[in-house]
Amino acid sequence: MDTSTWVVIGIAGAVVLWLIATYNRLVSLRNQAQNAWAQIDVQLKRRHDLVPNLVEVVKDAMGYEQETLKQVVEARNAAVNAKGPAEIGAAEGALTAATTKLFALMENYPQLKANDNVMQLQEELTTTENKISFARQFYNDSIMGANNMVQSFPANLIAGTFGFTTMAHLDIPDAERAVPKVSLR
Amino acid sequence: MSVPSSVPAPTGLTGTDFLSAQRKNRRMTRWLLIILTLIAAGLGAVIGAVLEFEGGTASDAFGALTGPAAIGGASLLAVASLSWSGIALGFGDRMVTGLAGAKEVTREEEPQLHNIVEEMALAAGLPKPRVLVIETEVPNAFATGMRTSKAAIGVTRGLLQTLTRSELQGVIGHEMGHVANLDTRYMTIVGVTVGLISMVAEIALRSMQWGSLGRSRSSSSGKKGGGQAILFILLIVFAILAPIAAKLVQFAVSRQREYLADATSVQFTRNPEGLIGALRKLTEAAKPFPGVSGATQHLFIVNPLRQFTSRTPALFATHPALEDRIKRLRNLGT
Repeated sequence: MDTSTWVVIGIAGAVVLWLIATYNRLVSLRNQAQNAWAQIDVQLKRRHDLVPNLVEVVKDAMGYEQETLKQVVEARNAAVNAKGPAEIGAAEGALTAATTKLFALMENYPQLKANDNVMQLQEELTTTENKISFARQFYNDSIMGANNMVQSFPANLIAGTFGFTTMAHLDIPDAERAVPKVSLR
Repeated sequence: MSVPSSVPAPTGLTGTDFLSAQRKNRRMTRWLLIILTLIAAGLGAVIGAVLEFEGGTASDAFGALTGPAAIGGASLLAVASLSWSGIALGFGDRMVTGLAGAKEVTREEEPQLHNIVEEMALAAGLPKPRVLVIETEVPNAFATGMRTSKAAIGVTRGLLQTLTRSELQGVIGHEMGHVANLDTRYMTIVGVTVGLISMVAEIALRSMQWGSLGRSRSSSSGKKGGGQAILFILLIVFAILAPIAAKLVQFAVSRQREYLADATSVQFTRNPEGLIGALRKLTEAAKPFPGVSGATQHLFIVNPLRQFTSRTPALFATHPALEDRIKRLRNLGT
């Protein structure tokens, strides 16, 4: 075989390697995003479980805040029943706003701070909300990476052929970002 | 071999985001690693040249420096440092047990610490590292692990007692940054290479002293003797300077990785204030505690053995000065 044959074989081999690498990269980006989404889901469910427990332990002490407690429970129930990314985003945002308000009001009840059970639940709820926020941050970053690849040339040729599509960002309203004002050690 | 003049602490900071800060730190580390390799190869080349001269195949200094033995010496040192690094990496996270007093804690013992580590692992998209605590009043933290999947993050009891939740989050974010950026692996490779350079330079100096190198000095004469003298001076200079230069590069890499971990922490938490507050408290209270030695000082978020301010000679510091770290964090305004 002469030189030009080898050059052709070389180029063909490089193209095949690139195809494989690009396909695998697309798969791993999609899996990363799906995994991140699963993490958000886990934490949202965990929050749905924690909220009623917290309301239960503080409701006697916070006798004058029945309205807030009711709002928290309603927001929680709405979030449990929400369907689809847009609705979930809005409902979870409302729930965060409600729990943020509850945390702020709890500051007025020193006896709650002395209650280990309350403090423990509050820490769990705080970390769960943080985890939702961090998982969503990672999810959106992953989505951005995946979408950039799916849309940019020449990877978009492969993405189109194998049915990789762009994914939607998860927007939970900004109330989510407001960290509850509690000073925990 | 010219060191980029901006290596220790670039002045004139402009507003930036954590992503470009990270890119810059990575670029800086790559430069430093190239310099380190050049130091090793240069040392190998000079030794090779001297040996070649001994063998009598080269007729002048330049010929010896470009001869096969010099090139062989250079490649030998480069390959040796690479394979030695590989062996060192194989030992995994042995460093953890080397840190006396670091004990793994369960979720039941330290729920909040576990929670924050989980939060940062989620933000980084990495598996949760093991969680360790050192029982000492001095607030400090460290991370270790050759792979992101087998990492550990440790904090002292004093850290848990003095920091607020968001400050603790900033510190854990910094340590998670070390894990995500594979800094233990990085510093191991650098440390091994620096050790190898020091060792080879030491051997070269000693052999010259005892006469196994340069035996033929007296017998040679004329042009060849002159070339040999040049090579000897070159070798002495190299053997003395190379270990010092390598050490400086090691410190510079260490400082770059600290900046990188700070920027990565902000990427994770999106809250520079937590880490800034923590760094202030940590630096104020920094002092040595049992289990810390010169070999492990670079692992911690603030150096437990020495305090670095803008006035201390920056070249020999494992960590950047606190003021510089805070200045850069303020710059990352997200």
